[in-house]
Amino acid sequence: MNHVKKYGIVLVFVWPQLGFAEEIDVTMHYVGPTEGQVWLGVQQGIEEANLQGGFLGQKYQLEVVEPEALETTDIETVLLLATDDEFTMKVAQTDKYAAVPIINLNSTSDKLREACLPNLFHVTPSEQMRADALAQWQEKNPDKPAKAQSWHQDFVKFAARQLNSRFEKNQGEEMSDDAWAGWAGTKMIADSVVQTMQYDAAFMLNHLKTDLVFDGQKGDNANFRENGQLRQILLLVDNDNKILAEAPLRGFKGGLDSLGKVTCK
Amino acid sequence: MKFKTLLLSSMIVASTAAVAEPTNRLFATNERDNTVSVIDSRTNKVEATIDVGQRPRGIGLSPDQKLLYVAISDDNAIAVVDVNTLEVLKTLDSGDDPETFGVNPVTGHIVISNEDDGEATFLDPKSNEKLAVVKVGIEPEGVAVSPTGKYALVTSESSNMVHIIETTNYKLVANLVVAARPRGLAFNSDGSLAYATSEIGNEVAIIDMETYKIIKKAAIDVENSKPMDIKVSPDDKMLYVTTGRGNSVAFLDAETLELKGNVPVGKRVWGLDLSKDGSRLYTADGVDGTVSVVDTAKQERIETIKVGAFPWGVALDD
Repeated sequence: MNHVKKYGIVLVFVWPQLGFAEEIDVTMHYVGPTEGQVWLGVQQGIEEANLQGGFLGQKYQLEVVEPEALETTDIETVLLLATDDEFTMKVAQTDKYAAVPIINLNSTSDKLREACLPNLFHVTPSEQMRADALAQWQEKNPDKPAKAQSWHQDFVKFAARQLNSRFEKNQGEEMSDDAWAGWAGTKMIADSVVQTMQYDAAFMLNHLKTDLVFDGQKGDNANFRENGQLRQILLLVDNDNKILAEAPLRGFKGGLDSLGKVTCK
Repeated sequence: MKFKTLLLSSMIVASTAAVAEPTNRLFATNERDNTVSVIDSRTNKVEATIDVGQRPRGIGLSPDQKLLYVAISDDNAIAVVDVNTLEVLKTLDSGDDPETFGVNPVTGHIVISNEDDGEATFLDPKSNEKLAVVKVGIEPEGVAVSPTGKYALVTSESSNMVHIIETTNYKLVANLVVAARPRGLAFNSDGSLAYATSEIGNEVAIIDMETYKIIKKAAIDVENSKPMDIKVSPDDKMLYVTTGRGNSVAFLDAETLELKGNVPVGKRVWGLDLSKDGSRLYTADGVDGTVSVVDTAKQERIETIKVGAFPWGVALDD
């Protein structure tokens, strides 16, 4: 009986094998380090984009561009930057990229946000956002020091647990703020292609400004302010690296815009 | 040979078995305290609490309504509970981290979403055998099996898709892109249409099951709406959608997706069930730790029942 039962098991692993109406190949361009957490986040984003795209006949690849080669490179869809403030500002102000979405994965500079460049998007939270999150915390908890982060490896709500677990499994490290920025900047482009079936840079620029609905796996829909800053919650973390709360804290008006609103200069 | 005959005869018995006399019990999974609350739906009183296993989430009945299935996520199993004696009879090997499942009304097979592995597992609960494992997108969540048993639908939350799987050969026949973070699924009574909710995208989509195309989608005009579970009225005219942090059940016209009503229930409402006659809705209100009873005709909450910590899903044996 057991013998029969053993061979009665038929385990079928099935992969998608469909005819696709429209095959799409997307190349995302990237300037920045090819090691460290931002890089791992970008890698994770591309892997997830290909897993998702695999069901639809879409392929995603990352092309690393050396800073000096940027002038001679044509950007098809997006330029991801994990570079310093000055370089990021210079590239975003280059005429050639006026109609190209540039995603800042690294700089927290308020100046970059205040510049309100029409083609520059900031996935990483600004200094002002962090300061405002801290101020909200300290108003309610004056005796308890904290710092503000955009991500934490122990965060579980809003399916953060699932993202943390797959990142660690695939990349061999715990996910930090930088990795989240790399992942989010890449994944939101892939999600936009999946939703619109378009990947032309000018189209993408407009889409990110007006129609983006992105699930950053930390709650509400993440979209961009007019100055290009991504709306998002921040985590307040104590000196022992324990998560204390999510900002905006309850009782503060303005929702996600209570963090880091700046005036264009 | 002997085994085959046995298997065949047991299948015939199963397929011809009449539905058991309903107990009128309502079951709710309490995710944070590892229990199932048992409520007498005639009195709306909790009559028992079952220790079911670690992190119970998805919940549903066998087609003959004799057994209750509960996904116990942290035990990587489905618990099988006798609806009459309330005894946990056995656990089934569900694959890793089962979030929720659908039960095929014809074959009785259970289709499970394995959240961490990006898979859907097809399980025969009688033999506890895995029939197939189908690769789907990232973070599979909602599952529904069509009334004819021919199709299983699975949402993948982080890949923004509804996967359509044929249950006879476990083949993916279509992958439909929907709005961000799809969660719940439901079929109309003949299985010609399916409905999918998207939590972050705040959208409901109607899928034509003949063409595998999305024929309509619309946002739910309710403050803070994050659509989760969905049920269809017995006459196929109304959709009921829990709105998560919108703390309500939205009533939508099933054809136009227009908002026809919005009934406030408890905080962070997720799971939903509907009585067979369509008169009562039951919701799992996570943050409040309650089950709400909604009168669909009056469009109001008529009862609030305290259950365990963070109720996730509900199932009515009626």
